[in-house]
Amino acid sequence: MVIDVFLALGLVVLAWQALIGGSLFRGIVMFIVFGMVLTLAWAWLGSPDLAMAEAAIGAGVTGALIMIAYWRLRRINAVEPRDPSPARSRLALVIAVLATGLVGAIGLAAVSALTGDATAARVMNETLPDTGLGNPITGVLIVFRNLDTLLEVAVVLAAYIAARAALGRESADLPLPPAPDTPLLTPLVVTLAPLTMVVAIYLLKAGSQYPGGAFQASALLAALGVLLVLTGRVGPAAAANWLTRAGLVIGTLVFCLVGLGMLVIGAPLLAIPGIWAVYLIEAAMMISIGLTLVLLFAGAPGLSGKRS
Amino acid sequence: MNWLLPGLILFLLVNLLAGLWRVWRGPSSADRMMSALLFGSTSVAVLILMAEWQGIRALRHVALLVVMLAAIIAITYVGISGARDKGSETNPDRKAP
Amino acid sequence: MSLLLDAFAALLLLIGAFFYLAGTVGLIRFPDALSRLHALTKADNIGLLSICAGSALMAGELRVALLLLLIWLMALFAATVSAHLIARRSLRDAEDSGADAGKSPS
Repeated sequence: MVIDVFLALGLVVLAWQALIGGSLFRGIVMFIVFGMVLTLAWAWLGSPDLAMAEAAIGAGVTGALIMIAYWRLRRINAVEPRDPSPARSRLALVIAVLATGLVGAIGLAAVSALTGDATAARVMNETLPDTGLGNPITGVLIVFRNLDTLLEVAVVLAAYIAARAALGRESADLPLPPAPDTPLLTPLVVTLAPLTMVVAIYLLKAGSQYPGGAFQASALLAALGVLLVLTGRVGPAAAANWLTRAGLVIGTLVFCLVGLGMLVIGAPLLAIPGIWAVYLIEAAMMISIGLTLVLLFAGAPGLSGKRS
Repeated sequence: MNWLLPGLILFLLVNLLAGLWRVWRGPSSADRMMSALLFGSTSVAVLILMAEWQGIRALRHVALLVVMLAAIIAITYVGISGARDKGSETNPDRKAP
Repeated sequence: MSLLLDAFAALLLLIGAFFYLAGTVGLIRFPDALSRLHALTKADNIGLLSICAGSALMAGELRVALLLLLIWLMALFAATVSAHLIARRSLRDAEDSGADAGKSPS
């Protein structure tokens, strides 16, 4: 109980510290720390799936994205503004009250869903063994509510296309910091790269029975890609080759093909024919999401083996 | 020794809170960054203890994930702060709080 | 025997927590960035080793012990590289600005 209160208060303080003015860099570090404490909170609440996703995306990839944005900002404008926080709007109080109300309503709904007749959860628990899956979260994501997941993968693709459209042709010139020149980097990369791939594929496979799955695996692969870009092992390319394009769409494509293929054999749309389909869809999703995140980080249409 | 594991978890969390003071205070960005390191390594220890206490094996995998990501954040930091343009001598993170 | 093992595991966990405390005290009390970094990374690595060892004894499974060993080795690696990079950065900042960035008063 003490730990619950401690984590909850800590999260509020960290979120507040990440948002208020002062030094921009301090806000970034506070945000990364916020991600770590949120990971601990999910772990304490017994949700390793969420803890993994938060660790990989919240603290890892997003932290790197914000830092690179900070670096590019400093190149444009070398002197940091004294107070980066915008002037306080009169709407702030109204928005705060509305947001609090929304969070409270969701919280109440969650509490009543736990105590009331949680029909969807009961049905899922009863039918989960039929799917061959052991992890209820993967069951919900890929089998029971897979339209949501399909749309999420499509949103990632759409967001990437929007980012490319917004960046236009100049994006190939987006600067990246030079790789730190230290002899320690090569051993780090040659150790981390294979290990990360092994752990990512393990998480993908374990995701059917234990905590893990495509989202966690793709975030881990994205973190590896960020590492490779930062250490100069992989560099931005001016154009996407066919492999990059295929990788970007394979998640949405495979998901749609499996879902539509069910109509051909007379099953309902988006029915999942078996556990092999779960693995197939998740593997494709892992490649697409991971690659999208890396490309967004590099700010380039494609990747090449050597940084120019 | 039922109290031992939750007690240690709470103790490490209090440690984290103390480290937060260094993030807030700075004074250099290196100080803030190394506090983030402290958060990383303490989080790993807390996750390992939580895995033991709650009997959730997957939390150890979360710990492994956190460890593998720690280096990435540090390299990003060094990359971005190492490549400043000329004329940015006034390091804003070193201004008096 | 089991009681002895449990007591030993608890002792290891307590030692680990002590080293974490030492690292945090160093981070807060030491006067300049380089010594703070020194205190933090060394103490935390020993603390994590001790906690991993204690937890492995409690779990009493080879699988878990090996996973914890892997976690510790990766932490060692990450901490080494990160500390090295941050220290270099701190030194170079100091040289660049001519001031003592690494020695700002606490």
